[in-house]
Amino acid sequence: MGKQLDAAERYRAGVLEYKQMGYWEPDYRPKDTDVICVFRITPQDGVDPIEAAAAIAGESSTATWTVVWTDRLTACEKYRAKCYQVDPVPNTGPDAGTDPQYFAYVAYDLDLFEEGSIANMTASIIGNIFGFKPLKALRLEDMRIPVGYMKTFQGPATGIVVERERLDKYGRPVLGATVKPKLGLSGRNYGRVVYEALKGGLDFTKDDENINSQPFMHWRDRYLYCMEAVNRAQAMTGEVKGTYLNVTAATMEDMYERAEFARDLGSVIIMIDLVIGYTAIQSMAKWARRNDMILHLHRAGHSTYTRQKTHGVAFRVIAKWMRMAGVDHIHAGTVVGKLEGDPNTVAGIYDVCRDTFNEKNLPHGIFFDQDWASLKRMMPVASGGIHAGQMHQLVHYLGEDVVLQFGGGTIGHPMGIEAGANANRVALEAMILARNEGRDYLAEGPRILQDAAKHCKPLEAALDTWKDVTFDYASTDTPDFVPLETVTV
Amino acid sequence: MRVTQGTFSFLPDLTDEQISKQVKYILDNGWAAAVEFTDDPHPRNTYWEMWGHPMFDLRDPAGVLLEVNACRKAYPQHYIRVNAFDATNGIESLKLSFIVNRPDEEPGFNLHRTEGPGRSIIYTTHSYAAQKPAGSRYG
Amino acid sequence: MAEAVTEGGDDAINLAREYEESGIGGVLDQLDRELVGLRSVKSRIRDIAALLLVDRVRQRLQLTSEKPSLHMSFTGNPGTGKTTVALRMAEILHRLGYIRENHLVTVTRDDLVGQYIGHTAPKTREVVKKAMGGVLFIDEAYYLYKPENERDYGQEAIEILLQIMENNRDDLVVVLAGYADRMDTFFKSNPGMHSRIGHHLEFPDYDADELMSIARLMLEQQNYHLSESGEQAFSEYIDRRMRLPHFANARSIRNALDRARLRQANRLFSEKPTRISKDDLMTIEAAEIHASRIFTEGKPDQDPV
Repeated sequence: MGKQLDAAERYRAGVLEYKQMGYWEPDYRPKDTDVICVFRITPQDGVDPIEAAAAIAGESSTATWTVVWTDRLTACEKYRAKCYQVDPVPNTGPDAGTDPQYFAYVAYDLDLFEEGSIANMTASIIGNIFGFKPLKALRLEDMRIPVGYMKTFQGPATGIVVERERLDKYGRPVLGATVKPKLGLSGRNYGRVVYEALKGGLDFTKDDENINSQPFMHWRDRYLYCMEAVNRAQAMTGEVKGTYLNVTAATMEDMYERAEFARDLGSVIIMIDLVIGYTAIQSMAKWARRNDMILHLHRAGHSTYTRQKTHGVAFRVIAKWMRMAGVDHIHAGTVVGKLEGDPNTVAGIYDVCRDTFNEKNLPHGIFFDQDWASLKRMMPVASGGIHAGQMHQLVHYLGEDVVLQFGGGTIGHPMGIEAGANANRVALEAMILARNEGRDYLAEGPRILQDAAKHCKPLEAALDTWKDVTFDYASTDTPDFVPLETVTV
Repeated sequence: MRVTQGTFSFLPDLTDEQISKQVKYILDNGWAAAVEFTDDPHPRNTYWEMWGHPMFDLRDPAGVLLEVNACRKAYPQHYIRVNAFDATNGIESLKLSFIVNRPDEEPGFNLHRTEGPGRSIIYTTHSYAAQKPAGSRYG
Repeated sequence: MAEAVTEGGDDAINLAREYEESGIGGVLDQLDRELVGLRSVKSRIRDIAALLLVDRVRQRLQLTSEKPSLHMSFTGNPGTGKTTVALRMAEILHRLGYIRENHLVTVTRDDLVGQYIGHTAPKTREVVKKAMGGVLFIDEAYYLYKPENERDYGQEAIEILLQIMENNRDDLVVVLAGYADRMDTFFKSNPGMHSRIGHHLEFPDYDADELMSIARLMLEQQNYHLSESGEQAFSEYIDRRMRLPHFANARSIRNALDRARLRQANRLFSEKPTRISKDDLMTIEAAEIHASRIFTEGKPDQDPV
């Protein structure tokens, strides 16, 4: 623990421990206006965890490796981030066969950040500490954004409620499908998939993350054919339909050009990829707000830093940033599909997307209460390896405010794309009807689907084709917490 | 064709018993139920006519069914839907909306294209039924 | 039809168990505790409960398909327990499955009848919809009918009610309540209404002893009691009050006790501002009763607004 130094000692040229420089303050009580982070730290062998945690606080705020006299020209006490708590992570350490890991809580004064800028906030918080040598690994697990700071962000351009009002779709998950194969279709052939799927009962179709403007299909061609398909499907069903036109491109100018073309053609929704970067995302969110456009975000690339438990940034934090940045849709896990997704972790991420207030919930990986300051609610998207036969589980785990994306589960249907869409929609409506009637739809799910299939051949075929498809693997990203009932003093 | 707006349009038309159960769900959630009708099912026709105000403070679905049936009697060849309004802060919007009556014949929509420069097209959707004046559509 | 019933065989119906499982015994006991006297009303309710229980069994065995008419009229003077009985009746009907919700909506003419053309129907329907699934209790129902004014909107409310009472027998039980003589006149002029009422219950006035018991019960529920002289004074009060106009049985007793509590509080302040006992706080004295205008001027007190 850092001993109290007088000013002469503290600012003498040379090197001090971070904890002596004021970055470790075990008595500090975070202010309501502080940004708070909890990091999972894995110190190098022999490194004191407190010193490692203090270094995180120091390097993510004012410190550098040596004492600088220019600190004394500033109200440096205020600007120092303060690590105030370090707890061993349950079930880690030699007994568990892992390196010892710790949760370090660090508080940052509000004045360290520029208002409404994800780039500025993240440059501080994850700027350079993740490569810091005394640590083997470092992960940002969760953040508490103070209301005052939260309010400086736009938040989702449209939000769940207004999206539903624009689409005229209530009381059930929204249905989508990603067009497959994701590469190689010509614009004309691509639009065919969109038309069949929307006419068959889906609300949305979607470009995949890497569909931009390639030799086999340039973007204008895709947009034109897709909007023909959307409008035809609308006329065939009397329903509002949409297709997420991916506007991801090399420069902001290109993205604006594509977004404006999509708007001029009457599209209700566009999409971007996470890889365009936080600033580009915020720019597109502001554009979407100005242009009454729903903004879908494909989380392309996130698993490079969200999946491993010991290093990177937890996806719940990315979800938080993206809601602040202002996207309307975000891929957030399926629990039952082909991609990573522990049920508890996914529940926590969905809460971050959809609640107006998150309560601390360690089993779900939520470390702090979070007041969303009336930022709109963001629609999570479940995509990847899900099919109609899992409808009861999907509704149970993911609830009602979610987009269920059945790409393969629509286009791979043995009777065709329209039939595939039909099967998904009938399965969904039957499940919501049963849920509202108060039935135990999770237990009776297969039965409810079988009954619905009696008046829907395509559903019968879907249930038969994919009856045994599950993706049952151990999750890598699971919350570590001590269950309350086993806490002993 | 079949207009598939509303939460349950892909299922066979709901029976009164099924409608009652959905209304029960609405009332148990503390939402207000409203009956609305139209003879213009254009997908962007947001404001159907209100069959009275949304019904607040009801305990039992029979009251809503009373209005559904009265509306059916008055407009047997119109689209009629039941909407549920949730006043919870952060929602303050519809939570459920489903069709409980539709005309025997649904002629569907015509898609009108206006070609513009650069291959772009402005699309306009017309309901065939709505080409007649309000009140004389659907036979 | 009826093949399920064999004489004394395995299929014999255990009415006692049906009664037990319905839980209406508890409701009837509660009614006994809550309401003093009213022997004839309570016995009618027992009869009705028994009838409905048997009818439910008969329906199950398809011995009857007709649902019994459950609409009722409660006639009697004010303060004779009509509303309390209606609450318990709703509970009994709910426990036996004749209504879906254990709730009672109490209204008067003003809630049903509008002020201008086109106002009444939506108003009545709104009330009816809120009561659906339970019991609609219309107090002083005869005010709906004003023969002296042939364009009175009350008639419109009556017609809607008649329709609902007929078409929605599974959804709503209507109880019409009020003074016996006026209800008689009302039913004579509205035979349709009369014919839809399945049960007529008459609520007699309480006698002086019953009113005294009611007073004790009310005070006990609020942790008060009358002193010995207070009892004497109150019994005298009851005798005098019953003979004066606007006497409203239990309601008059409640109002008299409310005023007595006010006077007691005043007395405690002036007599013992610094030191009072728990018993002081609980005791109503003769002084509180004698201060009534009944004793000083021979007129009833103003009722609290």
